[in-house]
Amino acid sequence: MAQPRQDPRFQHRMEIDDEELNKRKAFLEFSDEDAQVLRNLGEMARTYADPVIEDFYRHILSFEETRAFFRDPKLLERVKRLQKEYFLRLTDGEYGKEYVADRLRIGRAHERVNLAPKWYLGMYAFYLRAVANRFLGAFDKEPDKALFAFLSLMKLVFLDIGLAMETYIQEREATMRRQQEAIRELSTPVLQIRERLLLIPIIGVIDTHRARLITDGLLNSIRANRARVVVMDVTGVATIDTRVANHLIQTVTAAGLMGASVIVTGLSSDVAQALVGLGIDLSKLNTACDLQGGIEEAERFLGYRVVRSAEVAGVRPA
Amino acid sequence: MPVPILKQGDVLIAFIQAALTDKDLVRFRDELGEAVGRWRSRAVVIDVTALDVIDSFATRTVRGIAHTARLRGARTLVVGIQPDVAFAMVQLGLTLEGVTTALDLEDGLALLEEGGQRGSSDAR
Amino acid sequence: MQDERVSIEHEADIVTARQKARELAAASGLSRTEQTLIATAISEVARNIVSYARRGEVVLALLEDHGRHGVLVVATDEGPGIADPELALKDGYSTSSSMGMGLPGARRLMDEFELETAVGKGTKITMRKWSR
Repeated sequence: MAQPRQDPRFQHRMEIDDEELNKRKAFLEFSDEDAQVLRNLGEMARTYADPVIEDFYRHILSFEETRAFFRDPKLLERVKRLQKEYFLRLTDGEYGKEYVADRLRIGRAHERVNLAPKWYLGMYAFYLRAVANRFLGAFDKEPDKALFAFLSLMKLVFLDIGLAMETYIQEREATMRRQQEAIRELSTPVLQIRERLLLIPIIGVIDTHRARLITDGLLNSIRANRARVVVMDVTGVATIDTRVANHLIQTVTAAGLMGASVIVTGLSSDVAQALVGLGIDLSKLNTACDLQGGIEEAERFLGYRVVRSAEVAGVRPA
Repeated sequence: MPVPILKQGDVLIAFIQAALTDKDLVRFRDELGEAVGRWRSRAVVIDVTALDVIDSFATRTVRGIAHTARLRGARTLVVGIQPDVAFAMVQLGLTLEGVTTALDLEDGLALLEEGGQRGSSDAR
Repeated sequence: MQDERVSIEHEADIVTARQKARELAAASGLSRTEQTLIATAISEVARNIVSYARRGEVVLALLEDHGRHGVLVVATDEGPGIADPELALKDGYSTSSSMGMGLPGARRLMDEFELETAVGKGTKITMRKWSR
């Protein structure tokens, strides 16, 4: 299955090129002036970075739900360090592609540890409040300067929140897709019931995608188990229309290319007749009346002979 | 690059290592035909385990080889088609008529021993 | 994203295009089966270039769309063009007979398939395959 990508071409799964970034900045009205204002705050930021971080973590650790994320003291130290770096980057003055890549990584990290939006939005709010207070203190005699500085910072933080949230959502969707995939795979087990004999019970709805998965799984199992016969039971398939029938035939043909015969069981004569009536050529399909019949036929084909042992001759048959 | 053809009793075995060019394939077909005649082989086994793609051209070629072999009294087996390759062939609508298929060389030779009739193209 | 361009003139180029496509598809996270489908489709289309147009090009690129990844293949040539594209695309226009151009087959292998062609103006085939 797909591996996490180390390929640098996939540094960020979201497409944030220069054009997109500029669009977002324009919408937030974040200009070069704002960048300059923030850059000028750099030195101030470096002086209050540590105390703000300490306050920040005191706040986080005072709530049970968020404390849970930082039980490991080594992790806490590391995160504090990363947080400080994040914090100082806000007043870096450089807000281009690299900045964006950094923020996207944070969003992905949040999803991976399952840190819900309500918590990290609350954290952003804490930042803004803590910094607002510092600004008021620093621009003591010029409160409007404090306000403008705060507004520049706020725009940037909202840019960050947008990036982090979108990545979080995207990662969530990717996780869900992976889970759906896993469920699909589980839902069509391939069972080895004798040496060189596989059984595939197919249950439910077969769409094109599932049909491909089933065929894929079957062919790989044929190789892995060196199967010569496969019994494919379709009793549980909801609807067998021409599309499903064609999928079945394709699967049988592909298995044949690998030297395996397929016996289809569970295809009622009504359904078979209907399919033939619709122009499907079923002559290439080996069918058996039911699963038991199919397995017995497969065993005979492989040279097995099942004999009831003499000791139970006295027992009434089922 | 010529395809090595090995003789095992009255069976000829050839391993296709990589995508062959037109010229290689024609040469292979001719050499195979010649070998079948010379050794009076009853079967030719072509092992395609190493092929990562079998397209319509390759399929036509194999059918041509099977035809040539049949004219000289030998049947043709193709073994080692990989799962993903089998899948692609079927999606493409390619069939190997006139050719028997088996999982691998071991199975192919066992099938010939049995004098069996299994395979994608053989009727049941 | 960087394009990969493979010039198609000799048979050996078909294999090169297939290999590069496989690598690209693998990098994109596509399964082995999906990689083989793409490589096979390229084999068909590139062989047409060698057989009918004598020279052409296959361009490969990575695709991305809201978390889905895929591969783009564009095969172009300045050959004679296809006189009856509808017929060439008709399913049942056999890929196994020597007359077929393998286009319906290639289309079945890929998720998206577009054919642009005109007599005397060459041919351009655009195909895409997406991960699931």
